[in-house]
Amino acid sequence: MGFIFIRFMLHPDKSKPVFIIIPAYNEEKMIREVLKGLIPLGCQLIVVDDGSATPLQPLLFDLPVTVLRHAINLGQGAALQTGFEYALSKQAGYIVTFDADGQHLPADIEKLLIPLTNGEADITLGSRFLSAGSNIPSGRKRLLRIARLVNYFFTGLLLSDAHNGIRAMTADAAAKIQLRQAGMAHATEIVAAIRKKRLRYKEVPVNIHYSSYSKAKGQSAWGSFRIFFDILLNKIFK
Amino acid sequence: MNGIQVLLISGVVVIFTYYVSRFRNALIDLAALVIFAGLGIFFILFPDYTNVVAKKLGVGRGADLLFYSCILFFLFIILKLFARLKRLEDKITELVRQQAIKNASGNQKDQAAD
Repeated sequence: MGFIFIRFMLHPDKSKPVFIIIPAYNEEKMIREVLKGLIPLGCQLIVVDDGSATPLQPLLFDLPVTVLRHAINLGQGAALQTGFEYALSKQAGYIVTFDADGQHLPADIEKLLIPLTNGEADITLGSRFLSAGSNIPSGRKRLLRIARLVNYFFTGLLLSDAHNGIRAMTADAAAKIQLRQAGMAHATEIVAAIRKKRLRYKEVPVNIHYSSYSKAKGQSAWGSFRIFFDILLNKIFK
Repeated sequence: MNGIQVLLISGVVVIFTYYVSRFRNALIDLAALVIFAGLGIFFILFPDYTNVVAKKLGVGRGADLLFYSCILFFLFIILKLFARLKRLEDKITELVRQQAIKNASGNQKDQAAD
């Protein structure tokens, strides 16, 4: 991670600080490395420890990060929502979500922020299918193609990548997105909010680094079914 | 009165008293409960009347009618419980999240402050 070329000072505009939210659940192996890759960006780093078995705070005490800890495990959607609320309460200008398992590249954050700072979009979504460099395993590719159609069915937006953890949004957009789904179905919920609140969105090519670690932590086919039913139940029980 | 009737009626009475002792605040609940318990005891004592009702509804036997209505009733209960569980989960989620925000820790200085 450390070899990546990182441009210092993403935002000279101090009045609009960038908050990077990193939801983490039992990521004690990777989290330090991920954070070390992010620190040079000069953004506010918010780790949301979603009730990990080993609290993450003691592992991170020497790093310039803020740790929010859920007393119990609630799910990634709830962790993101906690991060959003905290960032908004601290007058964030832009909010970035970033996975804690090391699959995203810190250098992609800037690419996601450019359309926002230019005022072209309210929210940017990372897409691993728009970039040539990603080594997506074929099983994963198939799964994501189905997820994309499910997303389209429920939200009416056909995106090239349904479940990518790296996104950036303006504070206004984050305030409009209320994640009610505690589990993993929040990715669909964000897309639904884009449409409902008429947010201007843009997909930005990003690279995903598939390590054996991130693959093991990622969604299995069974997990996808769980997500599907979560979405379905949420539709029924408003 | 035969054995099964004694068993069923005492079951109804026990459940009735249990509910009444716990939820005596809502009058409408109490009324519904009294009607259900009353009907239950009536049909236990005079099972032939269930056949009359069943025939009117186009079901062959009273016991079958009871069976079908029980399925519906339990489905209804499951849905109610599910909805309540979801509400409870939402409340817990909200509480845990607020607590997490309140107890934010770390040594990061506020960018907005400088």
